[in-house]
Amino acid sequence: MDIHAYIESGIIESYVLSLTSTEESVEVEKFRTEYVEVEAAIAEFSQALEQHAFENAIIPPPELKAKVLAAIKEARGVEEPTTAMAPQTEKSFVVPLHQTTSWRMIAAASVILFIVSAAANFYLYQQYRNKEDDYEALLSQRETLQAKNDVYHTQLKEWQSAAAMMADTGMAMIKMASAKGKDDAATVFWDKRNKDVFVMVNKLPEPQVGKQYQLWAMVDGQPVDAGILDLSCTSVCKMKNVPRAQAFAITLEREGGNKIPNLKALFVIGNV
Amino acid sequence: MNTGNLYHESELVSLLKQRHEHAFNYLYDHYSGSLYSVIVSIVPNRELANDLLQEVFVKIWRQIATYDNEKGRLFTWMLNVARNASIDAVRSKNYQQNQQNRELTENIYEEGGSVQMNTDKIGLRKIVYKLKDEYRVLVELSYFEGYTQDEISKMLKIPLGTVKTRLRSALIQLKQVIKP
Repeated sequence: MDIHAYIESGIIESYVLSLTSTEESVEVEKFRTEYVEVEAAIAEFSQALEQHAFENAIIPPPELKAKVLAAIKEARGVEEPTTAMAPQTEKSFVVPLHQTTSWRMIAAASVILFIVSAAANFYLYQQYRNKEDDYEALLSQRETLQAKNDVYHTQLKEWQSAAAMMADTGMAMIKMASAKGKDDAATVFWDKRNKDVFVMVNKLPEPQVGKQYQLWAMVDGQPVDAGILDLSCTSVCKMKNVPRAQAFAITLEREGGNKIPNLKALFVIGNV
Repeated sequence: MNTGNLYHESELVSLLKQRHEHAFNYLYDHYSGSLYSVIVSIVPNRELANDLLQEVFVKIWRQIATYDNEKGRLFTWMLNVARNASIDAVRSKNYQQNQQNRELTENIYEEGGSVQMNTDKIGLRKIVYKLKDEYRVLVELSYFEGYTQDEISKMLKIPLGTVKTRLRSALIQLKQVIKP
């Protein structure tokens, strides 16, 4: 066969430009191994084509390169995870190192935070306990004050009623003085209208245990029980109703009172 | 073409097959201009051409393992990747519809020349444009539009044998022009 005629037919150009049919391509590939001229013609046209393309190159927009390289990276990441070993190992040295230091930092920071927090908690708990004690003390103090206040309040009310009785013109005031020349004193308020009797202890010794003061009304020379002075009575106390009397007296009797007064224990006495 | 050749072609191919990114970087720097001219000689729309250049390089990266340097030069292989991708894009339904819309709007607005390129003045097409009409149409339809010779024979109502011989003659003329 005339290989030069074959080469000159344009089949080589068709082949290089992929314009040959499958059969034609098989034929060219067969001849290129058999004839150096065919191989040379392929190389010649390919080079000419390449050179022409280079001479007529159109520079693409510069920003395209970054896009293309990014697309390659993406394509590489998808299909070939194993081929990318070299840069990965490089990274794998860096990343864990960062991680360990940061973990160590975090661990150290958390331990410090824990200690600080524990100390703060202890301090605050102590403070809380102290404050609680203070509060308890204040609370009991307040209660004491309140109780005292209540006492004063009651006393004040009693004194107020005593003052009212003293001011009351319908009320007879009988001052009782010590029968033994001491400064013991008590006062009886006797309502002339309804004959109610009140007694006010001005000064009497504290009674012994098991003893109580008792008020007597002297009616026609005979002592009549007018009631027992309650221990809780600190100012004016209401006694029994006495319709008629010439004098009043207070004796110290056994607890609960007696029917007949113990005149040896007469403390104060006063005439109406 | 030997401007700033840092790699021997076989060396470059071997590095690409081993997935060296430096080699790919070099490949882009070295071949993007010539491949871009191949794309824009087929695809007049610049935006699409830009997308295609990216697509072509991704294809090259993915398919480099199938390239056999016994069969031909790297550029020839890449040229055909770029040409096929461009023809596929132009032939796609989407592109055809866009073209129709464009033709409609072009009647109303004068479309700026910055987006649409005149493909007749680019690369090989510039040479083909100067060929005799009967030759030019065959190269246009086969090389730039991707029709088979059988299809062209039916389209132009010319016998297949005539299509074949005329196309080959056209390519011989083309070769005479580009021959250094």
